[in-house]
Amino acid sequence: MSIALLAVLFPLLTAIPLALVGSATRASYVNLALNTVTFALTLGVGFSPGNGMLHADNLGIIFGILSGFVGFTTSINNIGFIKSEQGRKSIRRWRLYHAMCQVMLGTTLLGLYADNIGLLWVAVEGATISATLGVSLSRTASALEAAWKYFILGGVGIALALFGIMLTYLAAQPALGPGIAAMSFTALTQHAAQLDGSLMTLAFVFLLFGFGTKAALVPLHGWLPDAYAEGPIPLTATLSGLMLNVALLALLRFRHLMSANAAAGAGAMHPGPFLLILGLASLFLTGFSLWRRRDSRRFFGFSSIEHSGIAIFAFGIGGPAIIFGGLLHMLLHTLLKSALFQALTKAALARGSAAPGNSGFSHLRGMIATSKQTGWLLVICIFALTGLPPSGLFTSEYLIISETIIRDPYYSLPLGAGLLLCAIAIIRQVGPVGFAPAPASAKPQKAGADVITIYAHLILVVLLAFAMPVTLVTLLSHIAEALQ
Amino acid sequence: MSNLIYPFAHLLGGLILICAFAMLSQRRLAAMITLYQFEAITLTAAAFWQGYAQHELALYLTGVITLVIKAVALPIGLRRIVKNFNIVRAVETAMPVGLSMILGVGLIGVAVWVVLPTTLSAVTLTREDLAISLSVVLLGLLVMTTRRNALSQVVGFLSTENGLVLAAIGMPGMPFVAELSVALLVLMAFLVVGVFLFRIREHFDNLDIAGIENIEKQGR
Repeated sequence: MSIALLAVLFPLLTAIPLALVGSATRASYVNLALNTVTFALTLGVGFSPGNGMLHADNLGIIFGILSGFVGFTTSINNIGFIKSEQGRKSIRRWRLYHAMCQVMLGTTLLGLYADNIGLLWVAVEGATISATLGVSLSRTASALEAAWKYFILGGVGIALALFGIMLTYLAAQPALGPGIAAMSFTALTQHAAQLDGSLMTLAFVFLLFGFGTKAALVPLHGWLPDAYAEGPIPLTATLSGLMLNVALLALLRFRHLMSANAAAGAGAMHPGPFLLILGLASLFLTGFSLWRRRDSRRFFGFSSIEHSGIAIFAFGIGGPAIIFGGLLHMLLHTLLKSALFQALTKAALARGSAAPGNSGFSHLRGMIATSKQTGWLLVICIFALTGLPPSGLFTSEYLIISETIIRDPYYSLPLGAGLLLCAIAIIRQVGPVGFAPAPASAKPQKAGADVITIYAHLILVVLLAFAMPVTLVTLLSHIAEALQ
Repeated sequence: MSNLIYPFAHLLGGLILICAFAMLSQRRLAAMITLYQFEAITLTAAAFWQGYAQHELALYLTGVITLVIKAVALPIGLRRIVKNFNIVRAVETAMPVGLSMILGVGLIGVAVWVVLPTTLSAVTLTREDLAISLSVVLLGLLVMTTRRNALSQVVGFLSTENGLVLAAIGMPGMPFVAELSVALLVLMAFLVVGVFLFRIREHFDNLDIAGIENIEKQGR
């Protein structure tokens, strides 16, 4: 059995025994132990070529390690979350919650390692179901509505994606014939030039709508801010953020099939314009929406939409350097956003509770006065999100902008304007959250030892961008070269 | 028998399309559920027919699953919801029925116009099957957008899913059709059970999803 298969099955199977643990606190420790094993497994995944079902290419390996790492640190953060929140929900809900944390991680890894496009679809579907259960966990009216919205939008999205997958299979018939090979990314990529171009274009439209919904690209983003705001933060914001990567990488792979097919003159349309439009729409809509959000979780949900948009914009321009930039951006953004949500959980807990209604910016005012470490970390995370140096996002955004200027100068203007708009809207929140006087009711708190995970994330965000290990550079540039 | 394969497959596909289209015109939930049941039974027949034509055991399996769950179990569940929640009355639509039917005709036109020219190289049966199933998918989505009532949206979604399965069984030699249709069913079952579990009615006095606007206001 390959380690990739083990890394996928382990969280999926241990979800069941985890659901049987009778105390939420104990379950959170077991959850940590399980996620440590999963992280170790993702580290051990070696390169294995596609066998029609699973493969571990460099892309899958890198993002698998990232997901394992985020799963591991989130489960540390989760212990503090459970400790103060467990009284608010019955033990049955917490059992479901912990089981869904594992299912979410397992389906994310399955989506990353899937060679078979049908299997990829199943992974996305499983993640949708587990996230819906997570969002509806608090059973309040708004949580149920958010879950319903998620389920309907996500369900329609994956239904369209399945249609696209069947069309891809049909497009592969002339080259690969009936059977499992026509559903394997490895085989499809090798024969990209022989696919039926016009069918592939039709398929890509459906895939773009389907996976675009899961990647929360505007105008398919409606579910994301609600889901981030209403569910328990570790599950529906941090872990389900990993699913954005799965959808984006799936789009990157399908985009490659399209552009390879178009380059060979086999009749596919060039996918660039589709992606550019969605990317810019995401960037601008969030640029304007961010100004009007009062709830921090919705606010950072919109910022995730922005970063999905930046990545898809980079993939739309195309070429090795900018795809390198887009992938780097996804890596750094995932690290930063999960650090931010961990800091946000701690900050909300320091103000009493991390329940959904408790994360408005008005609740979080003057965080530094309440808890020095948590407050500063939160401020640093929010500042880093703007993409100003020394944040790592500066490097990736710089790469993307400079490549855009070289390849498609007209697009660089809206890109720059959108980035600036978002950055100003985000930096506006730094002052009130950090340095405003704290509400009178807020008592000073000491941050626990678990802030170390946030430090680790932030250090990685800076190091990966400004002192990138040579192996990672080589791997990422090989991937970008292959998928340009 | 082999010269009957095309006409019969098209006949079944056409029947499914008619059911999907008729759903647009129905204002009552009970009638929509009955239409869905017809659609599922026809889909069962189509799956068996394709299993016979392609000599594929998995397609018979898909047919059996479709029959047991979609043609029998889901309609029973849906009818129970209608009865328990006492929503037998006519449901309000967000759009006049006539207009939505015109849009439906337009969508079928789009599906045919998009699929037929792009699939010139594919087998004839697959081409037309694909056009029909895309129409069913789009009509299901149209039902979802023209209804305000959550349960009729669910029925529209179920119809969409039938269109997807119809496309899958018509693909020549596609692997994992049975597995994918089971995976879809899990999603659909969740949806129907979800209406039960979420007890939306307890929080909003009917299954009207206008409450969504409420959270949007709170978010600002």
